[in-house]
Formats: sequence, C-alpha cells, structure tokens
Amino acid sequence: MEYILNQLINGVCQGAIYALMAIGYSVVVGVTGMVTFTHGEVMMIGAFASFYIFQYAGSHIVLGLLGAFAASWILGMLVYKICYEHFFNAPRHISLICTVGFSMLVQNLAQICFGANKKPVLNIIENRVFKIGPVRISMIQVAIVVIVLALAVLLTVYFNRTRAGMALRAVSQDKSAAYLVGISVKKTAMIGNCIGCGIGGVAGMLMAIYYQTCYATMGSTMSMKAFSSSVLGGMTDVRFSALGGLCIGVIENLGITFSSASFRDAFAFCFLILVLIIRPHGFSVKKGARP
Amino acid sequence: MLELTNISVNYGYIQALHGISMEVGKNEIITLIGGNGAGKTTTLMSISGLVEKAEGRIAFDGKDVTKMAPEKIVKLGLAHVPEGRKVFPSLTVYENLMTGTLGNPKLTKERIKELLEQQYEMFPRLKERQNQAGGSLSGGEQQMLAIARGLMMDPKMIMLDEPSLGLAPIIVEEIFNMICRIRNNGKTVLLIEQNASMALSIADRGYVLENGKITLTGSGKELLVNDEVKRAYLGDY
Repeated sequence: MEYILNQLINGVCQGAIYALMAIGYSVVVGVTGMVTFTHGEVMMIGAFASFYIFQYAGSHIVLGLLGAFAASWILGMLVYKICYEHFFNAPRHISLICTVGFSMLVQNLAQICFGANKKPVLNIIENRVFKIGPVRISMIQVAIVVIVLALAVLLTVYFNRTRAGMALRAVSQDKSAAYLVGISVKKTAMIGNCIGCGIGGVAGMLMAIYYQTCYATMGSTMSMKAFSSSVLGGMTDVRFSALGGLCIGVIENLGITFSSASFRDAFAFCFLILVLIIRPHGFSVKKGARP
Repeated sequence: MLELTNISVNYGYIQALHGISMEVGKNEIITLIGGNGAGKTTTLMSISGLVEKAEGRIAFDGKDVTKMAPEKIVKLGLAHVPEGRKVFPSLTVYENLMTGTLGNPKLTKERIKELLEQQYEMFPRLKERQNQAGGSLSGGEQQMLAIARGLMMDPKMIMLDEPSLGLAPIIVEEIFNMICRIRNNGKTVLLIEQNASMALSIADRGYVLENGKITLTGSGKELLVNDEVKRAYLGDY
C-alpha cells in the first residue's frame, strides 16, 4: 500500500512533466495546424540550455528555466521559418516530413556539439525528502509540480484574458476566418509555435532535473510521450492534453509497480491504444459542435 | 470607395474571372448577383486579398490594395463576412465579437464597449447567448454573429457573402433589415446574393455576374424589372 502510494506520487510528478510537454505540443499543433516531429528535439535543446546554465552560472532554477525557454523559443523560430512558413498553402504532409528531417538534423548536430555521452544534472534542487505519514515526497517533485502548475496558470491567463491570446485561439480554430478579421496569421502562428516550443523546453529541463541526466537523443522518447498525451487530449485541446499527460504518467508508474521498470513505455502506449479504441477522438469533447 | 479595374483571376488553368470592373460608392448598397460558379465569391476574395489576381487593379479608399496582404486590407477598414459564416466554433459569442476588434488597432476601450453595445442592441439574441460557444448557435444566429463581428471593427465598408444562405425566410428578412440599418449607420455595403429579388430590392445598384464576366449593370429597381434578370434569376416571365 505504502509502495503504491509512493508510486502514485511519482506518477503524478512524472505526469506533470508529460502534461507540460503535451501542453506545448498541443499549442504548436493547434496554432500551426500541422503535426510536428521536432518537439522532442526542442525539449532536448531546452534541457541542454539549462544544463550549461547550471554548469556555468550555478544551480539557479529560475535562470535555467528562462534559459531553456529562450533557447527553445529560438529553435521554435527556426523550425517555423524552415518547416512551416513556405509550406503554409502546400499539402500538410510536406511540412510534416520537413519536421522529421529537421529533427534528425538537430539531434545529430547535438551529438556533435554536446557529445554523445549522458551528462549529469545533479543537485539542482536540494534533495530534501518530506515525510507525510507513509508518503515520501522529495523537494524535486514539489518543485516540478509547482513549476508546471505555475506555467499552466500563466498560459491559461494568457490565452483567455489577453487579446494576443484570443488571436492565437482564433488562428488555431480557423485560419481563413482569422485573416478576415485582420489577424496577421503568419506572425501569430509563429509566436504561438514559439510559445509551445518554449514550454516544451522547460519540460525538457524538468525531465533532465528529474532523471538527473540529459543526452542528445533524449528527445525521441519524450516526443513520443508528448505526442501520445496530446493524442489522448484530442491533439489541439490544451487542457485535455494536459490531462492525457497526467494519466500517462500515473499509469506508467502504477504499471511498473506490478512489473519491471522496463515495461514503462509498454504501459503508456497500451493505455493510449485502449483509450483510442473506446474514444477515437481522445478525451476531448468538441465544444461548440452542433450534433 | 472601392474600385475594381479589369480584374482577372485564375485557379490553375481555369480562369474564374475575366476582367471585372466595378465601382462601389460611399454609403451605397451594391449587390452582385449571379448563379452558382459565376465568380461572386472569387470577386470578394480577390478584393480582400485571399486570392491572387492575374491582372487588374483594386483601389480601396484611394489606396491601391491589389497586392496587399489580407490582414492589412482589413486594417484599412474593409470587413469581409465570408460565405458559410466562419465563426470561431469554440470561442464564445463575446470572444468572437472581440476578435472582430483585432482588425482595427485604433479602437479605444471605450469605443469597443460602445460598438459591443451597438451590436447587442441590433442583435439582441447575441446578447442572450454571449457566453455560449459560437459553434453551438443556429445557422441564423451564426450569420448574425458573423455580421456583428465584421461590424465590431467599425469598418468603412462591409462585404457580405451570401448572408441568406440556408436560412429560413423570416430570418432572411431580418438579416436584410439589418443590412439596411448598417447602411443607415453610414457604412458602405457590398452584398453578394443568390436571392436576387431580395438583394435587388434593397440595393442602390446591382451587377450581374455570369461566367466570370459582368453582363449587366444598373440600379436595383432597373434590374428588378429587366427581362433578362427576371428570366435568369427571379424565376418569372
């Protein structure tokens, strides 16, 4: 029982990171209208940016967060310029394939620049452990959940309370209508894409802190998790994608309670497949759709 | 206000518009009628910059907008209410209206409030439903929302693409009353319609479009009694 409770806590924490990845992913997919396969690499760059900041400027979590966000933002701009902008009116699979190629490029460049070894990300947050009854929660887990929640709240406020956020939502719902109300769709799409990438970068940093390591190929599994979480949430719905991420995190960790840790991914993807069999469009309910 | 000179548009190998010229004066209601595939929607899209023009020149409010980006044309004060409404389905009615204001950066907060009140006064049903998702409205309500959204940017001119499409006759009448009110509020209206008799009865002038060419033009009343128009669009001899 104690073990399960602790695994549940681990699951929630991991799920929070997945949720953040999925939020970033959904924002990108929603606003550009195209599936991206560079998100894993964007997250990896975020993790490395924070790694170097921690190495040279000391373990300042806020500094690392800003660095990860900024680095991924810049990569997001590159992705947008190279993979999306020219292909706005082209068939969608062209930019999809372009993102696949770009992700390979970034991953291999990262191996050249950062080295192929795993890098340790140690003691960024003082590793204290709180005991509440039978449950043990580490400081890292608390910090991760707090950061994810704070970012989620910030993003919600931005999307729902500001005019720029409203423009972003309008663009992600109907691009031609957005043109006609005078939104500069391309600029808005780029900013949205960059915000999504920046958030992905922070998620990458949290992943590096949580597992105390970062490496050039960490993006590929992470992008699969982000993709699955987002599919669970119906691709473009930010809130449901976050829920999807949380579910996958919890399922994974509860799953490995009963078996070995190497089945982690199997549990995640089985869960995805099961949900999609029962609800083909994921958790989301299409708001505003008339039956 | 708006002047099209010799506009041609190609879709691939197909020429959709063959040298269209028309003129819309300030505070007029101009209607463009024609059958399916005549090029009505293409004309509007070429005005608001959504399709590329092969030839010709478009001037709006004294400025050349032929090669301008769509969002810049909107910012000059030209609202386009597209065919099929295109409200943002999961934004609320209120938010949909507010997206309309994005096209005019000069609007102050007070002015936006004023405009919002105006729309709610003109379309009371929108006020009742202001917190409902745009996509959950009925067809007529969505059409009203689309028109109100266009008016929220306080445009000089508004272009309506088939506002009566698929609506019950009583709602159509309501919408046409609105169009007259919009003009009385000092705006210019360019109206595209299949419902030719309705459109011509409120229009100052009309153009008849056939296979991408303007074949007839005249005042609304003239066209209403024109034999050719009667035969082709009004359905009586």
